[in-house]
Amino acid sequence: MKKMWGLFVLSLVCVQIIVTGCAPAARSPSASTPGTDTTRHGGKLVYGLTLAPSGIDPHVNASSELGIPLTSVYDNLVYRALDAETDTDQQFVPGLAQSWEVSDDGLAYTFRLRHGVTFHDGTTFNANAVRINIERVMNPDTRSQKAVFLLGPFESVEVLDEYTVTIHLSAPYAPLLDGLAQVYLGMASPAALTEWGMDYQFHQVGTGPFKFVDYVPNDHLTLVRNERYQWGPVLYDHAGPAYLDEIEFRFFTDPAGRALALEAGDTDVMGELPPLDAAQLERDVDFVVLPVPVPGQSLGLMLNSQRPPLDDSRVRQALLLATDRPAIVKAIFGEQSPVAYGPLTAITFGYDPSSANSYAYEPSRARALLDEAGWTDSDGDGIRDRDGQPLTLDAVLMTWGSVPEVAQLLQSQWAEVGVTLQAQTLTYPAALEAARQGKYHLIPQNYSGSDPDLLWSYYHSGVPFNWSQVSDSHLDEVLDRARSLPQPDQRSRAYADAQQRIMELALLVPIRDPVNLNAASGRVQGLRFDAHGWFPLLHDVYFEQVE
Amino acid sequence: MFLFGIRRLLTALVALWGMATVVFLLLRVLPGDPAETLLAGSGASPEAIALTRQQMGLDDPLPVQYGRYLLSTARGDLGRSLFSNRPVTLAIAEQLPATLHLAMAAWLVMAVVGIGLGILAALRAGSWVDRLTMGGAVLGVSVPIFWSGLLLISIFSVGLNWLPATGAGSWRHLVMPAIVLGLVGAGPLARLVRSSLLDVLHADYITVARGKGLPSRIIITRHAVRNAMIPAINLMGLQAGFLLAGTVVTETVFARPGLGRVMVDAILWKDLPVVQGVVLLIAATYIAINLLVDLTIMVIDPRSRQT
Repeated sequence: MKKMWGLFVLSLVCVQIIVTGCAPAARSPSASTPGTDTTRHGGKLVYGLTLAPSGIDPHVNASSELGIPLTSVYDNLVYRALDAETDTDQQFVPGLAQSWEVSDDGLAYTFRLRHGVTFHDGTTFNANAVRINIERVMNPDTRSQKAVFLLGPFESVEVLDEYTVTIHLSAPYAPLLDGLAQVYLGMASPAALTEWGMDYQFHQVGTGPFKFVDYVPNDHLTLVRNERYQWGPVLYDHAGPAYLDEIEFRFFTDPAGRALALEAGDTDVMGELPPLDAAQLERDVDFVVLPVPVPGQSLGLMLNSQRPPLDDSRVRQALLLATDRPAIVKAIFGEQSPVAYGPLTAITFGYDPSSANSYAYEPSRARALLDEAGWTDSDGDGIRDRDGQPLTLDAVLMTWGSVPEVAQLLQSQWAEVGVTLQAQTLTYPAALEAARQGKYHLIPQNYSGSDPDLLWSYYHSGVPFNWSQVSDSHLDEVLDRARSLPQPDQRSRAYADAQQRIMELALLVPIRDPVNLNAASGRVQGLRFDAHGWFPLLHDVYFEQVE
Repeated sequence: MFLFGIRRLLTALVALWGMATVVFLLLRVLPGDPAETLLAGSGASPEAIALTRQQMGLDDPLPVQYGRYLLSTARGDLGRSLFSNRPVTLAIAEQLPATLHLAMAAWLVMAVVGIGLGILAALRAGSWVDRLTMGGAVLGVSVPIFWSGLLLISIFSVGLNWLPATGAGSWRHLVMPAIVLGLVGAGPLARLVRSSLLDVLHADYITVARGKGLPSRIIITRHAVRNAMIPAINLMGLQAGFLLAGTVVTETVFARPGLGRVMVDAILWKDLPVVQGVVLLIAATYIAINLLVDLTIMVIDPRSRQT
């Protein structure tokens, strides 16, 4: 009898192997007529997220990960254009606002809203909805971690008529449109906000191409198509509802397992692949790698300009000249990653290319500058010293962005010119505390953002995250002026000035421009990313029909 | 028995209070300001950071924070996450089932494989079977989960397409994580079962039993294994706690939901109420399992009842 059972189980296992072993985990799109646009309709996409955010209410939470699903749930008043020349007026295109105008003093932004837009719950979108959304963000009880800061010197929001609304500022603030173009200021249904209160993150209702179905933290988040969607911005390739029936987002926090999950068919799209895995997938015909450059800060190590010996600009400049950045980028980040030359990535509006040739790798000049600053190797041990003190620098590192690996290469490159680098890797909160106390010579910084005004938050004197500890009146003046200038070309020039000043003062060692290495199954078509680099435009995505 | 129960319960409460206090203090000593962590990169002003700190209740003197924490914990309220603002009890209740499924399945793998191989090795002591099994036990304990997990995914998901690589929801999702985690615990268990069974097999009463002509099968199952199991049960109790901790890495590798990942994130971000809540839960589980182990030993070992 026992033998019979054994045989039965064995045969079950064999059937299992035959049935599932040979078939790829296919998610075939629903059948439709070939040759027409409807061939693109249908199917369920599984999208791999790489971080499990602590919360996903866009008005409350700050994680860039939440924007990956929620960009498809919400529409914004305006959108940052994808293909516009970065220094023209066409930086922003209409979204839920058909048009807008800015008062001459830069203090009032008036938006004329699109008619006929409804939220997923049937509520009408109008000026009052905009007011309620903005007031929610501004309410201190909301405890907004990001959206509130995108509104800058906000003063009030005024409903002029059912489809016209004005945002009043207490000071001119040019980055306002950039803030309004971000998912953190996506327009949510006032009815749902009232109904769900603090639990809104689990019951989100927007006007976007996909409707929010459910979210289980650490597990999944599901969206389904909004059949009534007719008001997509020009960023989308097609008008009307999205192609996909459903999208399930899942969380893959272990970088080492992401490519495997994609290869096993557990997901159709995966973000933030390690460079080696992306290179391997690129050689595989079944997958497509989509590298997306991310605007904002380059990945770099901030130099504490207040702490000796880095209070001497010659020492800071010497460190830059002693850094072979192309070698570091090639060794750690692979072919897909551009070398960084300044505080902003090359894709960011206002990026100044003239800094590209400053501080090319020149160890001989680095040595000369250190000699000039009085740091020489007096005892012949290979490490420079001055007044009996060795030239030793402390780096506070964090685990993200391959920063510890970068520091290892810096250690060996700087040792060549007689500088010792001691590195200590801390958790994020501990590193922030070390930064606040100024207990470092070097500390990494890499925040993304689509407006160059982010330089204000990291290089203006007296701001909390000014980790180069710079206090430079010229830089302060330029950064203050740049955020109040109305014209993009004027702003662009001001930011070029700011970047040149930052590099002249040698406040950071830029390493690379971050690139989000996404990969997708070859069946996934039409996948593009918005101007912020992280957020996919899933409205246009469809599955290639397989005969 | 009743008195024993009361005494154990009181001890458990004191242990929990001690644990809660240690975690509370430890988290305050560790560097890092949750308000600053929350707002880094958002362009927040020092005033905005100070306001958030105040809203989080971190401005209050430490004794006030401690008193508030103890009172609310006693009422079963573990507070709200500083980052998501959700009740900690809710986050735990949501993630606990997935972790329990994994820990229990892994415990089963550990028990079956560990005891099975231990007995096999003891009965064939000195043979190639013994050496192979014990070699395997060392390997099981030494191979890190993040490596063995990826290896299994490459073979059984990418290569053979037999099992889903990641996620949770069905028994198929549980197979690889349970094996990977269970085998780590099975190694030490197999070694312990082997050595204690060998000890028992050389004891006088076994010689007597053999002398009486009892069949070998009866001697091993009725007399030897039962006695050899006592240290093994102790270890299996301890390993249950270890497996609960081991779910952290396993959940990450197999992209499973669960408490492990919640706790790691909470520690990394210094989300004080979440760390406190999860640690308290793990401590309570540990204490409960120890109690269960003591009771089990009382049942199978009459000697322990006399003391």
